[in-house]
Amino acid sequence: MVSRETITYLCGLSKLELTEEEIVKYELQVEEIIRYLDKLDSMTLSNIEPVSAEKRFYQLREDIAQSFEYDPFGNAKNRKDNFVKGPRII
Amino acid sequence: MSKLYNLSANQVYAGIRARDFTAEEYIFQILERINKVNGKVNALILIDSKGALEKARLVDRKVREDEKRLGALAGIAIGIKDNICTKGLKTTCASKLLEEYVPPYDATAVRRLKDDDAIIIGKLNLDEFAMGSSTEFSSFGPTRNPWNIDCVAGGSSGGSAASVASSECSASLGSDTGGSIRCPASFCSVVGLKPTYGQVSRFGLIPYANSLEQIGPIGKTVSDVVMIMNTIAGADDNDQTIRVTYNTPGYALPSKRKMRIGLVKELTEGADPEISKRIYSAMDLYTSLDCYCEETSINYVEYALASYYTIAMAEASSNLARYDNIRYGFNFSPDGYEWNAYFAKARSNFGDEVKRRIIIGTYILSSAYYGKYYLKAQKVRTMLKRELGLLFKKYDILITPTMPVLPFKIGEKIRDPIKMFMIDIDTVVANLAGIPSISVPAGFSNGLPIGLQIMADEFQEQKLFDAALLFENETYIDRGPEL
Repeated sequence: MVSRETITYLCGLSKLELTEEEIVKYELQVEEIIRYLDKLDSMTLSNIEPVSAEKRFYQLREDIAQSFEYDPFGNAKNRKDNFVKGPRII
Repeated sequence: MSKLYNLSANQVYAGIRARDFTAEEYIFQILERINKVNGKVNALILIDSKGALEKARLVDRKVREDEKRLGALAGIAIGIKDNICTKGLKTTCASKLLEEYVPPYDATAVRRLKDDDAIIIGKLNLDEFAMGSSTEFSSFGPTRNPWNIDCVAGGSSGGSAASVASSECSASLGSDTGGSIRCPASFCSVVGLKPTYGQVSRFGLIPYANSLEQIGPIGKTVSDVVMIMNTIAGADDNDQTIRVTYNTPGYALPSKRKMRIGLVKELTEGADPEISKRIYSAMDLYTSLDCYCEETSINYVEYALASYYTIAMAEASSNLARYDNIRYGFNFSPDGYEWNAYFAKARSNFGDEVKRRIIIGTYILSSAYYGKYYLKAQKVRTMLKRELGLLFKKYDILITPTMPVLPFKIGEKIRDPIKMFMIDIDTVVANLAGIPSISVPAGFSNGLPIGLQIMADEFQEQKLFDAALLFENETYIDRGPEL
């Protein structure tokens, strides 16, 4: 069962603030969707390998730094002097 | 020189080269057309009139001065789904979280279009972050179906399909994670291709579910889609999942062959009777054209949707963790907020569907459930790939309906997520297996479009084009929606 506590716990993990109305709605909908996904559990697939990326690590291109011509913080909305402003840590 | 906006991409290209009309004249007509119909359809959410006219004049100059330098898409007005980055043009993903985002670079696919002298006309509506099947989950409001504006255009690339259907551009780019190009192509009666995974660079495509999604073209005809595909496909050092071994695929048109065709029984029988009838007629048509056709089955199709949604939501929750509203975001001051509280507050501005998928994705990836859902889903994917591999030894292509239902009324399914998920049953198979798939118009029922889906083995786009063109040659009607 997906309980109210589960939803608030998941919101904590995924950093989402929900309204009371949303919590009530998602409690029902998430339960319904998870029950649908339970279909997967009805299969025995113990000997099957899951799909994985085709390229191995050594096949990736060299990790060489590239220069960018643009301001990497050009899209940051909250700036002060030459810094990007964030919320306080403590 | 009437109605240049109605021309197909190939006709525009030929017309400009032959000097029947200039790129500027054509773009003026396109902009007028947008002005007239976009209010009804809501396909474009950003129109770059200035940039389009500048590029048109550049193309015209090349026609006059140095025709040899004209690119392969010279002068064609192309719209870009708004989850694909365009340098200097806002790219919002139809989300409040990115409402002000201006990418400092072009997606590789967009850069390739520009290099071939295509004209980027604007950005196209979508479900927020491409999550949805109807373009109703957009912060810009729904895109309406040009054939019946009370109905949805399909999704998530609803703007990409509706803009082409309503002649607001001659072709477009969409992205397809579980059917997001083919669904709206079917609902709007245009051609839409999801390429083989790894054929088109995803660099600059704002990620939703990386292991499933591909950028692909939408056009009025099969040859338009081929034309765009020839430009956007190919190697790119910025995408390590690219699997092409050559630089230009060079798809040809046409190369008629007697094909072996399998009609997937469970997907065809499971559709609305009108749609199912139409797909069986398509099989009869292919038979009459000397193709060998028979019914076949994909056993793992039963588990495809559960596998798809598990993987898509898990990857979505991981991808969307980056939106902290610090490096990019909307105007919301962090003053007075503690770190976590600020993120949670900012992220509460995601729309309904995005929040639902983040929550479920987080549940699926939590340690207690990882083996039960995500791992199983990836194993189903292995089985599905194996099964399809065997089928493609027997058949050149598989056919099914693109959508099991006709375009439905706006608002009809929006409150029932499971019902909305179910309509993706025919399209998710191709994404899970990484194979190419195309939707071509297959007529109408009560004035609403039906699409035929054709799937082929990975890297066999040429077979898709052959089969799609064979079908189109026999069934094409030059008809547009009345707007």
